[in-house]
Amino acid sequence: MDGIEPRNVGFFEFLSDEEQAELAEVAERVVFEPGEVLIEEGGEPASLFVLTSGQVEVNKRVPGSGKRLLAVLEATDGRAVVGERGLLDDSEASATVRAKGRVEAVKVPRERFRAMIHEGRPAAYKLAYRIARILAERLARLDEEVVGVTREIERRGETDLDAFRDKLVTEWTI
Amino acid sequence: MQEAYLEGLSLFEDLTYEEKAELGALLEPASFGIGEDILEEDGLEGYLYVLTSGAVEVYKEVFPGRRQLLATIEAPAVVGEMGLVTRCPAVATVTAKEPVEAQRLPYEAFLKKLDAGSEAAYKVVYEIGRTLAERMARTDERVASVVAQLEDTEPDRRDFDVFRDKLIREWSF
Repeated sequence: MDGIEPRNVGFFEFLSDEEQAELAEVAERVVFEPGEVLIEEGGEPASLFVLTSGQVEVNKRVPGSGKRLLAVLEATDGRAVVGERGLLDDSEASATVRAKGRVEAVKVPRERFRAMIHEGRPAAYKLAYRIARILAERLARLDEEVVGVTREIERRGETDLDAFRDKLVTEWTI
Repeated sequence: MQEAYLEGLSLFEDLTYEEKAELGALLEPASFGIGEDILEEDGLEGYLYVLTSGAVEVYKEVFPGRRQLLATIEAPAVVGEMGLVTRCPAVATVTAKEPVEAQRLPYEAFLKKLDAGSEAAYKVVYEIGRTLAERMARTDERVASVVAQLEDTEPDRRDFDVFRDKLIREWSF
């Protein structure tokens, strides 16, 4: 159990006391020193980390221009959860998440989460539901960003931007 | 009987016979003529549709007044599943390309099942989550590819930075 009290972590407040206790059986409290990696791009699908203190940097390798900083996330932010996609998906992690300073987090290991799903444990299903909602909302917003960028490219009428517009439109995922 | 409509669809494949029967009891028949909209972009939808025969086209209004065809989907298939997990407006329009026969699952009835702790409903939500996660992974890669092209083409153009930053704002990893 490792002394985890999910009820003290705001992200898990949608779970009942009983379900939080269920999750506590598999969750682990983890600490990362500055520079340590929580999630490695191209590595195994991620486990879920809920940051309880500190900051992390999210970087992605972009062909031709090396590593690119996507975001700095703080435990106190509304978005203090990383690795949520990896909990449900089987594809490799798409970015590297690294501790900027000392970071404390609650980890829900992917394999143990999957085992809970296999056993039909309500806490795991409710967590999956919460993650599905996060992904659906984020995907909807990303779609809107793509629409906005595509329209802006169209409005400018610059021929050198046509290739980007076409790529954005033709590879839409629904 | 109605549970037979759920056979062969990945969204329901992990459900037991009894669980399929539980959700099958919520299904209502629906028919659509050619050109009729089943889901409307930006509309607040109320149903997941299990398409049992026919074909649909998926459109998005990428440019004002111009619908872009994104995909053609043939029965058996499911559309409108995203609305089961979030009440966001539909992200695309789904129009009958051929006469379509379907069974619709009302969101409200499904959400009541979820509230009551139905394992059948949770299994469906888990599968929707997995589908969304895969879709997000593909979208991330598509955006990464465009961002890379933007940076390769003219790295000093500051207006490209705006595009790039907009696209990566909602990254999921």
